[in-house]
Amino acid sequence: MKRLYIRWTVLVLIFGSITCLGILRYDREVKTVSPAKVSSEGAKGELRLLGMIEAGSFVRGVEGKPTRFMLSGEGAKVAVVFSGKDEDESLRELKTIVALGKWETERKQFDASELALDPNYGFVTSAYVFSLIPLAFFLFYMERRVSLLYVMIKEEKVYQSETQA
Amino acid sequence: MTATRFIGILRKYEKWFGIVALILISAGLYTGLVTSSADYFQGEVVRIMYVHVPFAQTAMLAYSTLFFCSIWYLWKRDAIVDNACHAAAGLALFFTAGGLITGAIWGKPTWNAWWVWDPRLTSFAIMFLTLVGYLMLRTFLDDVEKRATFAAILAIIGFIDLPIIHFSVEWWRSLHQPLSVSTRGVSIAPDMLVPFALMSFGVGILFTYMLMVRTQLLYLEHLLEAKQGRFLSEAEL
Repeated sequence: MKRLYIRWTVLVLIFGSITCLGILRYDREVKTVSPAKVSSEGAKGELRLLGMIEAGSFVRGVEGKPTRFMLSGEGAKVAVVFSGKDEDESLRELKTIVALGKWETERKQFDASELALDPNYGFVTSAYVFSLIPLAFFLFYMERRVSLLYVMIKEEKVYQSETQA
Repeated sequence: MTATRFIGILRKYEKWFGIVALILISAGLYTGLVTSSADYFQGEVVRIMYVHVPFAQTAMLAYSTLFFCSIWYLWKRDAIVDNACHAAAGLALFFTAGGLITGAIWGKPTWNAWWVWDPRLTSFAIMFLTLVGYLMLRTFLDDVEKRATFAAILAIIGFIDLPIIHFSVEWWRSLHQPLSVSTRGVSIAPDMLVPFALMSFGVGILFTYMLMVRTQLLYLEHLLEAKQGRFLSEAEL
């Protein structure tokens, strides 16, 4: 039994540490901010702004001009200027996107250098949590039960008593 | 082969399956969640594939194991084989439930629905219900011989669903994507194929390990029951 608990403690510590490192990396590099937070509190440095392109606000950039639209989220709207190229013309109104860039406090607009799809990390995390955590619990329960049964059989001397009988 | 010798073999080799499964799954999780690229259309959500597909494949592997063990039981009438059938059924139910849950989570951002009455999904749900029925049948019958025989027959009949699950995406117009790896070739990017293969083999080997542990568990429980005076004729002492 002692070996079982040591083995599982080591496994929990390893996977727990990896999960903590993953959460830290998520907070540092992947976490998005909402237009509501940016417009009310402002922000510095490179940001990932998550929101939906407002209906009627989208103006596609032509002849070297940037693409402009309003990005909404959590009850607020932010003007976004995208200077890059939308190669596949995948941008459209009512689409949820992530704009990567900087918030210009003076001009009250978000200068986006890159656009990406909504990562939907909540769904990815849920899928792994709902499959791997029950798997670990199920496995632990079975291993513990088998170890207990071997101990009980050894203590009860099942083989000996029955064969003698 | 006697039951005690069989259990001894399981106990001797099980750890190697556990270690290999742990290595493959760890490598699969790292490559799947960190190094592999996002999909052009689905984005990051495609990473659910590395857990959903292995779970679904392993559910079918577990049911196939149940099917072959059931035939073996009807042929040899060996109690330890019935324990293996029971163990495989429990694991098949677990992986089927996992496949259905992760599939629903993947379906919401890609199809905008948690569930659709698609041939693949429906036939998979039928396998889930068959396994629930199988395990319920085992609890209803007290007679050990009858319980094992009826359960084996039910498992063999239920196997009809497996080819339907596999070929459903070919036979009917389905919302579910077709086979990514088939006799026609591999229609999946190499950097996605690596974590996919690692996780598929890893979860498959983990199932083998779990089957070895669970078969021991059920055998030992029967042994203790026999010690208490129940099912004395069943346990091989």
